[in-house]
Amino acid sequence: MRTVPADPYPFTFDPASTALVIIDMQRDFVEPGGFGETLGNDVSWLQAVVPPLKKVLETARAVGLTVVHTREGHVPDLSDCPPAKLNRGEPSLRIGEPGPKGRILVRGEYGHDIIDELAPAPGELVIDKPGKGSFHGTSFGAELAARGITSLVVTGVTTEVCVHTTVREANDRGYECLVLSDCVGSYFPEFQRVGLAMIAAQGGIFGWVAPSQAFLTALTGADDTVPTDAAPVPQEVAP
Amino acid sequence: MSASAFPAGAAPKVPERHIRMTTDLHPARARTAARIGPVAADPYPWPYDGSVEAARTALICIDWQVDFCGPGGYVDRMGYDLALTRAGLPATAAMLAHAREIGMLVVHTREGHAPDLSDLPANKRWRSKRIGAEIGSAGPAGRILVRGEPGWEIVPEVAPVPGEVLVDKPGKGAFYATNLDLVLRTHGITHIVLTGITTDVCVHTTMREANDRGYECLVLSDCTGATDPGNHDAALHMVTMQGGVFGAVATSTAVIEGTSA
Repeated sequence: MRTVPADPYPFTFDPASTALVIIDMQRDFVEPGGFGETLGNDVSWLQAVVPPLKKVLETARAVGLTVVHTREGHVPDLSDCPPAKLNRGEPSLRIGEPGPKGRILVRGEYGHDIIDELAPAPGELVIDKPGKGSFHGTSFGAELAARGITSLVVTGVTTEVCVHTTVREANDRGYECLVLSDCVGSYFPEFQRVGLAMIAAQGGIFGWVAPSQAFLTALTGADDTVPTDAAPVPQEVAP
Repeated sequence: MSASAFPAGAAPKVPERHIRMTTDLHPARARTAARIGPVAADPYPWPYDGSVEAARTALICIDWQVDFCGPGGYVDRMGYDLALTRAGLPATAAMLAHAREIGMLVVHTREGHAPDLSDLPANKRWRSKRIGAEIGSAGPAGRILVRGEPGWEIVPEVAPVPGEVLVDKPGKGAFYATNLDLVLRTHGITHIVLTGITTDVCVHTTMREANDRGYECLVLSDCTGATDPGNHDAALHMVTMQGGVFGAVATSTAVIEGTSA
């Protein structure tokens, strides 16, 4: 087992049953000129996530941790896009319409794919999700169960929307979630702050929060398991 | 060659949208002429599609339980100010009366676990013990968060009446491991109005689940509350961003004023 100093208290995990989950690091959300920026958002807040997350991803690969990427998007005929999501708020750019990097939030389009810096490696799981949560309408839960995963290290964007929804779903399903504070990002600094605070509130109501370096130190360090079934040290040696 | 599910020559057309809602109301439900909307809401007049039959709209009252807002309950025992979680009770009682009058489907949820705790995840139990209110342990209002105990009951101010839907949930979200989605679809519900506690935990989790499932959601700012006022405000603010990423926010007064007979 490994232990990470975390808020509200240390997070203990076994790398064999832990997955790194990278949520929605898609060009349309993260890159300048994408859908997110077109909506008036400052993508620099999300760009700041890329270097530390790249380091976490590379280390996770080096030690053989399970890696899962998610992408929010819809099938090209939009048959999995609820009408309320499509039409709400009279959006200036609607899902499915042509955007700067292809049709907005449509699977297979350039803008829907994950940024080059964090591109999935062969064999890594990629979950396409129609909503904010990674569990609803996907095989995510079944894939985790098949791999014996019980703990999730959660990263990606945006903190208060897709990261939070996924952590809430995971927590109700009994997964232990550690959110890496510098590897999740929001377009709004205030939501970044309060989003992380809500996870650790009330004794860790949704999970734990720690900076990525604390996680990497634990991941690459020694196993800190205290043996519980070891033979007791003899106090006297029989003649 | 296996038999086709379609008659010869009748090729299937575009597949049915799997999120399509039931088009008929449940036969047991009375239909009134009342419609809700447009309701003055943030960030857009709710609902997105202009207005909706009251009969197609559910009022979901989340976790108004003694354990969360009553003396001697779980939240009281954790040391939080009960006035914060009780603040929304009067407005919710008024909204409940309105919902019953105009024929909305009324749903009450209760968070809790089976007496043998077989549906309590180990980490949830461990965390509750760590903060001094272990789920399943004896408290002033019975065993904490256990179904059938006094603390698990809904407080009298907003108690269910016979015929209303009760959903018992083991988690924060009202959709996970419950029949809520089935009940809503069976009743032809397409729109949801949310009240309850706490704003940032169970109300938000349920609203996110409902939104991903295609329900058009409205959360009532005066019918919710949290153990931390800052988290209450932030949770409502989050809903309004990005054009209403999870739906919209309004007051119960706005819903009542936005209802036409």
